[in-house]
Amino acid sequence: MKKPVLHLAAIIGLIAAALSIPVAAQGEPVRVAEFLAECPISHRLADDPIVLPNLAGASHSHDFFGNHSTTARSTTPQSLEGQSGNCNPVSDISSYWVPTLYRNNTAIAPTGVTFYYLGEGVNNPGAIQPTPYGLKIVAGNAKATGDHDSIARWSCLHAGHVNPSKNFVTCPAGTMLETYLDFPQCWDGRNLDSADHKSHMSYPVAGGCPSSHPVSVPKLRMVLRYPVSGSTSGLRLASGTGQTMHGDFFNVWPRAEMERRVRNCINVVMKCDHAGNHG
Amino acid sequence: MVLLAGLLLGACQQEPTPAGPPSPTSAANGYGATERAFVELAIATDEQALKLVELDGNTALIENRRTELVELRKLLDAPYVNNHAGHDMPGMPTDAEIQLASTSPDARKQFVRTHLTESLEVLRSAGSAITHQPTAEVVELMERHRTAELAGG
Repeated sequence: MKKPVLHLAAIIGLIAAALSIPVAAQGEPVRVAEFLAECPISHRLADDPIVLPNLAGASHSHDFFGNHSTTARSTTPQSLEGQSGNCNPVSDISSYWVPTLYRNNTAIAPTGVTFYYLGEGVNNPGAIQPTPYGLKIVAGNAKATGDHDSIARWSCLHAGHVNPSKNFVTCPAGTMLETYLDFPQCWDGRNLDSADHKSHMSYPVAGGCPSSHPVSVPKLRMVLRYPVSGSTSGLRLASGTGQTMHGDFFNVWPRAEMERRVRNCINVVMKCDHAGNHG
Repeated sequence: MVLLAGLLLGACQQEPTPAGPPSPTSAANGYGATERAFVELAIATDEQALKLVELDGNTALIENRRTELVELRKLLDAPYVNNHAGHDMPGMPTDAEIQLASTSPDARKQFVRTHLTESLEVLRSAGSAITHQPTAEVVELMERHRTAELAGG
């Protein structure tokens, strides 16, 4: 049974490639474990509810996405429940934030903001659990001093020939500066936060979650696109160089919405739309 | 086969164990996440500010920052980690500003004033958020210092 099916798929793929037709257009679902939320900038504040809880105005500047009500005092999921956000889907009222980008002293808001939830990074996507309600995750290194201690990635949208870098890159006119950040996806199974805001989470090791952090959750990948091209001169984040790019996530997805997406998209390796459905 | 395995596992999926309250929210003696975050931030800010006011040579400001650093360090319940180095934090002079202040008296005066006004804002915010009494007393001390320093011109 197996061989002819693979054969057929290969032939369809070849024909599709020759005609430049995406294979998905033939009615086949895309076999990538993914759901997503697109959340434009909501507001900008010198607040950080994870790193500087309750200390309004004490942080470097952050751009907030998703939940409109997030402030320094948003320290519990209950403080964000019942509030509206600007994500597509609207059911995602989570809060996400990053340091503000500046050119000299002018703040620049990203115009494309997508949060992908992925099944990649672990060998067994079927075992991925829903992200726990109220989980707080920080990714990236706000204290990075160079490439060696940074996981930032900067590149250019529509200019694949520009090599990605851990610091800002010069994007040709007509293209956009973009940055990717992958959040740790292995949870310790007990704590929704930790004193250093990092040690309750871990990245996978060799395709699996380590025994210290045995619970596999969807990998959050943040992709931001800024209306920036040309020289990197004067570009800085509120936390410093491009290498200090970091992101914070406070999960307030309604439990049922998160669980449905993990079941329908991640566990069965399907690419879902904003509503969490696949073709 | 992968699909079947996925469906089976999905069906058997367990609700993650509800986690207890986040560990850093509070401590038995009231020195909780907000206090810890404030103290670490205030040390980072005062250490940078000290470099700036030492350039200015104002002995009262130098003495006040040093006193605050001693009091702040007494509050630490874990080894100090600077989480804010290199960041553009309210009231915290950046290395670039300190460098500029070393050659320009006008810039130095402006940066000292900005340090005082911005850190006073942060202290007022902290004053309304902090419940741990020993930390609150240091916040009050720092507010008194800055209010007097600003009045002193």
